[in-house]
Amino acid sequence: MLRFILRRCILVLPSLAGLLLITFLLIHSVPSDPAVAMAGDAGTPEQIARLRAQYGLDRPIWEQFFVYVGKAVTFDFGESVFSRRPVATDILQRLPATLELTFASLMISILLGVPLGVVSALNHNTWPDYILRVFSVLGIAVAAFWFAIMLQLFFAMDLGWLPLRGDLTSTMARPPRVTGFLSLDALLAGRWDVYLDHLRHLVLPAVTLSLGGLATIVRFTRAGVLDTLQQDFVFYERAMGYRWLRLVWVFILRNSVTATVTQIGLLFGGLIAGAVVVEAIFDWPGIGSYTVQAILTGDKQVMLAVTLLVGTVYAVVNILVDVVHGLLDPRLMEQG
Amino acid sequence: MSRVLGRRQVGGLAAGALVAGPLAIGSVRTVRAADASTFITAAGLPINLDPHQVYDVPMQGIMLNAYDNLYRYQNDPPQIVPWLAASHTVSDDGLTWEFKLKPGVKFHDGSPMTAEDVVYSFRRVLALALAPAGAFLKILKPENVTAVDPQTVRFKLDAAYAPFFAAIPSISIVNPRAIEPNAKNSDWGKSWLASNGAGSGAYKIIPTGYRPLEYLDMEINEGHFMGWGDNPKPVKKIAYRPAKESSTRLLALLNGSVDCTDGNMPADQVEQINASKIAFVQKDSVMKTFVIRMNNTKPPFDNINARKCFAHAFNYMGFINDILGGYATRDPYPMPDNLWGIPKDAKGYDYDLKKAKEYYAKAVAEGAPMKRAFEIHVQSENEQSVQGAQLFQADLAQIGITLKVVGSIWSTLTAAAAKPETTPDMWVHWVSTYFVDPENWVGQMYDSQFHGTWKASAYYKNPEVDALLRKARATVKQEEREPLYQDAIRKIMADSPDIWIYNSMQLQGFNKRVKGRRFCTVGQGAEVRWITLAS
Repeated sequence: MLRFILRRCILVLPSLAGLLLITFLLIHSVPSDPAVAMAGDAGTPEQIARLRAQYGLDRPIWEQFFVYVGKAVTFDFGESVFSRRPVATDILQRLPATLELTFASLMISILLGVPLGVVSALNHNTWPDYILRVFSVLGIAVAAFWFAIMLQLFFAMDLGWLPLRGDLTSTMARPPRVTGFLSLDALLAGRWDVYLDHLRHLVLPAVTLSLGGLATIVRFTRAGVLDTLQQDFVFYERAMGYRWLRLVWVFILRNSVTATVTQIGLLFGGLIAGAVVVEAIFDWPGIGSYTVQAILTGDKQVMLAVTLLVGTVYAVVNILVDVVHGLLDPRLMEQG
Repeated sequence: MSRVLGRRQVGGLAAGALVAGPLAIGSVRTVRAADASTFITAAGLPINLDPHQVYDVPMQGIMLNAYDNLYRYQNDPPQIVPWLAASHTVSDDGLTWEFKLKPGVKFHDGSPMTAEDVVYSFRRVLALALAPAGAFLKILKPENVTAVDPQTVRFKLDAAYAPFFAAIPSISIVNPRAIEPNAKNSDWGKSWLASNGAGSGAYKIIPTGYRPLEYLDMEINEGHFMGWGDNPKPVKKIAYRPAKESSTRLLALLNGSVDCTDGNMPADQVEQINASKIAFVQKDSVMKTFVIRMNNTKPPFDNINARKCFAHAFNYMGFINDILGGYATRDPYPMPDNLWGIPKDAKGYDYDLKKAKEYYAKAVAEGAPMKRAFEIHVQSENEQSVQGAQLFQADLAQIGITLKVVGSIWSTLTAAAAKPETTPDMWVHWVSTYFVDPENWVGQMYDSQFHGTWKASAYYKNPEVDALLRKARATVKQEEREPLYQDAIRKIMADSPDIWIYNSMQLQGFNKRVKGRRFCTVGQGAEVRWITLAS
């Protein structure tokens, strides 16, 4: 098992190096000048030239690349042009909020998507299946932006059940920062009021972000279960009088979710990218707005660091997916 | 279905309902997040909290509440009034300025403010050489800011520079005793002050309540030097909670979870807000001009008839009335029409496609390449700049000119504007009030010494205009400067280097419980000390 994981980790390194090189070249090919943003609206040419020299922006691109790589391996991603703080500090401050949001969305997608996919398959070509199929098409087709506004209008404005935006009620004091995850910090501080308030704020953005993933998981689980239902062992077990529910939820499901697990791995990267839009609509204080601001101000250090981060998270999740595949089908692990 | 949902599954659903239940029944009515003493604003935050690193409209909001300045702009139209300074004097040659401080001013840590602190603040601004330093770098050396005595500060300028006084309110006085212990590698505490406060203003920054661009909390400074006699029921806490999306900002105002928005409400939301029981839209004239730049170095824009053709082809009133809902004033001058220095006798360009065609023919006759395709670069994230360009595109098509609208972002546009060869044919932007002086507009937009900055991106050059603007800059008395600017503006308008469209009207949504707000175009009414929240 350990060798299997190690091999996967080693294979990831060239991918990340390639990602770094391509992203660096792409970002530096955009004709924006962070020194202009740094000097501000009232900046003079002298100020701009001075800042270019100070931040090494006037050096050749290959030199900038090697300086960047040298620092990045020590987790020094430079200083943000717009916040004037270390990029690593800014990201660490915001990443927990994004991870909370994406994790909650993924949980919603999996906990609802897998059972609904099974229900859809077991009721193949009957009305529950039709409804779920329509839902899964809509889930993929509907724009997150529109869905978010609909949820805001209904649950925050009309019913008043859930907050409109943010991660905590404005007048509520935040607990001391320990982990950076507001839910955990609230629990550690014994602040149940903050914990529950934060969960209420989490519902609408998490549901919005989960929609596409939920629809995908329903479709893949349905297809997997339908395929497995045709296999001989299912007929054999049923003929032997095996309990139907145990057969469905243990054996059939286990043999059906390989493709779903792969999709979950792919979804996670998409969720982090999708969080940019959802965080903007719900004013969720994660890396989304930070990334948007970086793009608008041409902050190359932040764009690079965020791309690397998303790439790394994507790679780690895919290693986990490989491990889960190995656990579901031990033959894969033996093959390495 | 019965064979699908077993006991465990039903148990799972029940557990889900238990979790969802409290979320749903926690509040069955529209949430009112504000309490009677907390003012919640959805206005944007600056990129960090250091007033010596950043100087833009969101930062002006922070400065006005958390810091004090020697002089401050107040009222509408703006007047520069003594604030930390009791008075000032200036030598006849305009080189030596002395400011007398008011006694008894204290910083948030309780330490007294002296002339040495003012000296430290200005030297820090000059050393960092970032945005607010722009007005001072060329005429003020750090060693020429000195404390004459604990209550008097002296500035000795290298050259007479009349806008010096107008730019004084852009500098916040900071507390060196709070900053210096946190300075690293002689950085003047730059990293620390980006996330903390070191001022004396009416409100104190709460560092634990800050996350860049996301939220910021401030609490009242009961010991502010101005006292609170003029507002016996002030706001105790300010909660900055920026709304990034226009739709979310509108909904937050309508459900009462914010007390005000920023000043950029889209015109199409005004009626909806005014029709609500809870909120209203405040309209204020500001000094923020909207302009289409033409790159005067690129043919055919190096031809005066070509430039006049374009100036007559923009549908000014159509844009203001139909797209902006009438919430702007037509401003045919190269600076706000409510600022001194405007030659009221000068006539601007009107929308007249017949005249545009005549100038088109003249330009073609002079060999100007009018038939080539043109590009106008817009700020994609700003709908208004896109709409303006599209309207222009449609009108130019009527006279046979092909215009391509190219989406871009501010940082890319300003970087491109650094050289005439990379500056687009045309681009669209606003010029806000950084200080209330013609220098902020015509001075920096049309004096050729500023070529290379985005403000001077027309690359206009007229030696007569250069001489007038430089003379006006070096003359101290406003009554002597005014005719110089009027002459310069007449000449600039005759040359038609850009297309000047409107002076803005700020549309800001407020909850009806907000009372006593005062407006000034500098800071756009963001000063909270006058506000009371009605019950």
